[in-house]
Amino acid sequence: MPLETLYLAILVGTLLVLMAAFSSLLAFRFGTPLLLLFLCIGLVAGTDGFGVQFDNGQLAYFVGSLALAVILFDSGFGTSLHAFRQAAAPAITMATLGVLLTAGIFGLMACVVFDLQLIQGLLLGSIVASTDAAAVFFLLRIGGIAVRDRVRSTLEVESGSNDPMAIFLTIALVQIATGTDGSSLPGIDILRLFGMQMGLGVAIGLPGGMLIVWLVNKLDMERGLTPIFVVTLALLVFSATGALGGSGFLAVYIAGLYAGNRSIRAKTAIRRFQEGMTWLAQIVMFLVLGLLATPSQFPAIALPAIALALFLVLVARPVAVWLCLSPFRYTKRERLFISWVGLRGAVSILLAILPVIGGVEGGMLFFNTAFIIVLVSLLLQGWTISPMAKRLSLVVPPRIGPVQRVEVELPGSANHELVAYRVVKDSPVLTGERIPRWARPSLVVRNGRSMRYQYAGRLQENDHVYLFISPNFPRLLDRLFASPAPVEKDDTEFFGAFTVDPKRTLGELDEAYGPGIVPANSRETTLAEYLERRFGGRAEYADRLRLGPLEIIVRDVDDRGEITSLGVSLEPEPLARPLPDFINRKTARSALDRLARRRRNRRKAEDRQAAE
Amino acid sequence: MALADLLAQDAVMPALKANSKKQLLQEIAERAAKVTELPEREIFDVILQRERLGSTGVGNGIAIPHGKLSSLDTIVGVFARLENPVDFESLDDMPVDLVFLLLAPEGAGADHLKALSRIARVLRDADVVEKLRASTSASAIYTILAGSPSSNAA
Repeated sequence: MPLETLYLAILVGTLLVLMAAFSSLLAFRFGTPLLLLFLCIGLVAGTDGFGVQFDNGQLAYFVGSLALAVILFDSGFGTSLHAFRQAAAPAITMATLGVLLTAGIFGLMACVVFDLQLIQGLLLGSIVASTDAAAVFFLLRIGGIAVRDRVRSTLEVESGSNDPMAIFLTIALVQIATGTDGSSLPGIDILRLFGMQMGLGVAIGLPGGMLIVWLVNKLDMERGLTPIFVVTLALLVFSATGALGGSGFLAVYIAGLYAGNRSIRAKTAIRRFQEGMTWLAQIVMFLVLGLLATPSQFPAIALPAIALALFLVLVARPVAVWLCLSPFRYTKRERLFISWVGLRGAVSILLAILPVIGGVEGGMLFFNTAFIIVLVSLLLQGWTISPMAKRLSLVVPPRIGPVQRVEVELPGSANHELVAYRVVKDSPVLTGERIPRWARPSLVVRNGRSMRYQYAGRLQENDHVYLFISPNFPRLLDRLFASPAPVEKDDTEFFGAFTVDPKRTLGELDEAYGPGIVPANSRETTLAEYLERRFGGRAEYADRLRLGPLEIIVRDVDDRGEITSLGVSLEPEPLARPLPDFINRKTARSALDRLARRRRNRRKAEDRQAAE
Repeated sequence: MALADLLAQDAVMPALKANSKKQLLQEIAERAAKVTELPEREIFDVILQRERLGSTGVGNGIAIPHGKLSSLDTIVGVFARLENPVDFESLDDMPVDLVFLLLAPEGAGADHLKALSRIARVLRDADVVEKLRASTSASAIYTILAGSPSSNAA
């Protein structure tokens, strides 16, 4: 490549990434699905826009796979084992059976709409069958949508673990479609391939994760190098598994899940680095895929593709979710919400390259259709997740108010951490709560002067307190230093008007509100035990259970997972909401209020920053 | 169900003096005994039993003690406004100065729950609560409670 071209290529590339980075500001302001913006920048810069020529499907697939591996490792790394266990069964059902169902239902419809052969219809189905980890994580975490823990974990684990299944299906179907006459690969071979992919994925991913943790803790590597070392090792796991014929994507996700839940040196640094890497991977992936597309080909298939997208969103996904979740404990509203958060994203477009480079007849049809489906899904679902959660009354009131905390990692030790809190108004530490014994407060910075904790006297507002803690229970400390959670009128409805003591028995509840509302054989059971049993061993904040005409709601759970407070709602059917939300004057006003408040808060935060 | 159906004007105590939760419940049980012509002890016991299940202080200085009595034949309410707030072990730790006691017949089932949530909803309305705190006569309080609109208080 001549030198000028080299510089030009880098220039264009960096400009695109910069634009994507800038667009994130836009997205936060308007709540636009950010990934959609990345994709659009790619589209605008590409063949039909500013004319950046890029039609190398092989290269796009290569870059996309690499980026996806990084993203999956990070999503595994960020998933707590607790969340994983909590949602493993339903999420993995959806990630396997659910993907099959979605692909099947959608595939049949695609056959009708595009007049395809069955294999090709199913191929299109499996391309769009998996939900996008990046999109789901982004919307749930950064979008700040607080839904019940169980629902959120289900969605996150599902989106993180369903890509391998969709990838496998697509690869297998491409092979069949390009085979001699469409039937050269009998079912038994597919099953063997499936077993090999998933089996190797787990068999290499888990030791891979162990290896990463062991190596990082064993080798006293330069701190700045550690995160790079980790990501490289993750890619090693990915590529080695793939080379041996397993699913590298599954392996890298599992390795991440393992490593992220072990005490590993320089965890904060690793996490931060990966956060950056994931951003970069997403930007690059979406940009490249956007560049690869040729929007001028879209109008020809736009209508049927949009119809298919709507079918996927409104029929295929909900049916699959309903069937997969029927053995598990989810309310109708939660299933509806889980169906709605079936965002498609880069993985679908990435997989749509496979038929093109695999030489399937009419390969571009797959690519363009998948592209439009992803666009529709991001627009329609990405933009409406938050209102949807509110509409379904699934938004959980915040447990504690905002906390101002900084963690400082201590070299040489994975058992201690230094955290700094700013003492905020009305926080429990100011109103006399004691700091627990396992946290060692060492330093107080007040008005720019530092002093030993022992000599600082009572804590005051705006003090910064530095504490050495063992990193096992930071949640408890957070609560001590948090400003009180704002209690809104709706919260009373959410948690029920009255409280009951979790240590009381079902029989006593029956005396007060019965008779005959509790199962006769559990009258001696305490409410806490009963709820834990009904929720499979462990109840979570905001879990709710119907009991005759009542609803029992978990108001709080302590660090060991024991229920400490319960609410009773006397009107389990939530108040009927006037239908079109946006026409309702009350909602509109509260939305405006919220906007104004947010702006005020932002300004305050800026002032504070400026002051510091 | 309108609150007027379960609250009579002579069941309103506009300026009750009490020093503790227990004393408050006793006073209010005494008035309930007068209204219902049932033994005070029985009423006191049943509301105390419900308090043991968890405080009926719903926050914001409001408590809604309640219970079921087999000897009662309609749903009966008693309202008290306290001169000085007392600690009621509420979830938000705020002392209580507005108390609505609700007693229901054993078989009232759904009506009991409906009446309770109705009361909770009326007392969630900041305007109503503010007016109640500012009133010092039984008739004024009765008018506020009985006259509060029955549908859009939520």
